[in-house]
Amino acid sequence: MRFRASIENVPTFFRIIQAIEKLQKKCIIKFGESEISIICNSDANEGGIQVWSQIKVDSLFTSYRIQSNASNEITMSLSAEALLAALRSASASASSSSSYETEEVVMKLAKKNDQAALSFEISGKTRVGRKVRVAHDVKIEVMKPSDVARLSEPMCPEPDIHILLPPLQKLRTIVERLRPMSDVLAIRASNNGRLQLSIRTDSVTVETLWTDCTNPQMDPDHLFTVIVSIRSFLKFLNSHVVSTTTIACICQNHCMILYVYIGDVADAGGVLTFYIPIMVDDGDH
Amino acid sequence: MSQDQPLKPVLSASVHDVRHFAALLRGVNFANRATVTISKAGLVINVEEARTLLGTAYVNADLFDEYTFSHPTSHSVRNRQSQSPPSSPAENPEDEQEVNVAFEIPLNTLIECLNIFGTAGALPNSNTHNGKKERKWRRVDDDDDEGRFGEERETRTGPIDNYFSRGKDEKKTGMRMSFLGAGYPLTLLIAEDSTGPTTTCEITTFDPEPSLELPFDSETTVLKIILKSSWLRDALLELDPSCDKLTFIGNPPHPPNSSMGASVKPMLRIQAAGTFGSTEMDYPNDKEVLESFACTHPLSVSYHTAHISRTARALASSTKTSLRIDERGLLSLQFLMPSAGVGGAKKGTDAFIEFRCLALDSDL
Repeated sequence: MRFRASIENVPTFFRIIQAIEKLQKKCIIKFGESEISIICNSDANEGGIQVWSQIKVDSLFTSYRIQSNASNEITMSLSAEALLAALRSASASASSSSSYETEEVVMKLAKKNDQAALSFEISGKTRVGRKVRVAHDVKIEVMKPSDVARLSEPMCPEPDIHILLPPLQKLRTIVERLRPMSDVLAIRASNNGRLQLSIRTDSVTVETLWTDCTNPQMDPDHLFTVIVSIRSFLKFLNSHVVSTTTIACICQNHCMILYVYIGDVADAGGVLTFYIPIMVDDGDH
Repeated sequence: MSQDQPLKPVLSASVHDVRHFAALLRGVNFANRATVTISKAGLVINVEEARTLLGTAYVNADLFDEYTFSHPTSHSVRNRQSQSPPSSPAENPEDEQEVNVAFEIPLNTLIECLNIFGTAGALPNSNTHNGKKERKWRRVDDDDDEGRFGEERETRTGPIDNYFSRGKDEKKTGMRMSFLGAGYPLTLLIAEDSTGPTTTCEITTFDPEPSLELPFDSETTVLKIILKSSWLRDALLELDPSCDKLTFIGNPPHPPNSSMGASVKPMLRIQAAGTFGSTEMDYPNDKEVLESFACTHPLSVSYHTAHISRTARALASSTKTSLRIDERGLLSLQFLMPSAGVGGAKKGTDAFIEFRCLALDSDL
């Protein structure tokens, strides 16, 4: 099993992991020949939010080499926090408060004291031109092919609707205000560009309506609804750091799927896919 | 008088920038349940704690761009019967001036709703743009980040700063508010600009409980001081949060030719005592500090620090403070809130927040 790559686009990788880290302590990363997938599927997640993503190798790495018996795929489970810490020191630049500027970041699979690790070798230069080398070892567990085979993306019916979300930063401001008022959030969307976030409790009803969203395809006026955990939704909104375009899909009575594009949609470097299961509204029973 | 015809709202008001309204509400946001009284003159928001402290925000009608109060007696009979007690003497319509409608509302929710787009925060001249937040008066059970005494410390900005800070933060939240009558929710329609999203909030209202009344007897005012809010704020900031008792000591001003020895009693002293010690602060007899000072006879009255600290938010965003204590030790703190700001300033829109607090018994 061999794996070595240099991280070309440290800020993007950093932001992706930043969004993931808020979601779950541990994540699974599957490195393939042309794509990597970051997966969060822990059952321990409050609200059951899951993330599956495909990111093109070219958009993050250069001189990428991978070799394994499992059709050249390596799947590992690691602490998102530790990975984030390594990437944070890799993204050091003169403009930030750091004392050195990163020139190259090499990530490779290593074995230290019988423990598999993802080793980050960061080489940089200080302001006075001295060379600096920083190394981070992130402890990993390489997953057995049989376990990998058991990983499966959630099965979802054909979505009732696709809609382009407004900037996630904006959404986040609003959902953050709603958070203290309610635990569940209703999301409604129709094919004529209407998107509504609403909460309904004994003391307050709040509905925020956008009327000019874009639907990838046009259909009738019907408003589709899902009710999700407001915490899970906020976790998804943490991905605003990496997002450009986000498409939301509603599968009524099932889940909400959110495709967060990294980079331009047309030339996306990758997609983070969030699955948020619905909550059963007690009020209906 | 058919019951089917749509009701004319008791209140309908709109404003293009809710920050001022929100600042007034935040000033009294120390307990979640507030009583809102609507009258022709405006809104009065009452919040009380422990039947000892009463916070009142006076929101004048002219703070809104548009404000209509129509008396509910013109509604159907059914509605009149369900009205709250304060409006019941309104048998003849000539009394409309006197009449008002009251309801209770979760204040926190109202403030959160107003700030849903994140642009109904602090007023331009009282914001926290310097970023340095001190949390001296923060208590363990406080989980909000706003408005302890420390927040405003270095924000004494000149009037010209208002022009600058307005320029970089142009986004404002506009609001239209309506209330159909007792039993109906308070409806808010909130938008940032015409192209952005709109938010509709319906906040459940409750019939008002009989509210605390702490009448201040201005006939027997012992101490009456008007001072710049910053002078009081800085003093309260110095206090250690572990002090549980706060005492105001006032002495009549002494003639200027009297001896300036150590025997001279301070005109105004704030004293705080707690488990770990006590603090004393004296105000000088200086027109710069105490704009006006009147004291009929020496007095010393104590209050719960916790209650006084409830005024922090209002104090921080106010410009001037009037502090009065009457014969029975009832404290009245009135905070002058800055008017609607530069640019769209309409004179006479100065609003008030008033706090009244009962003295600790042992001192009387």
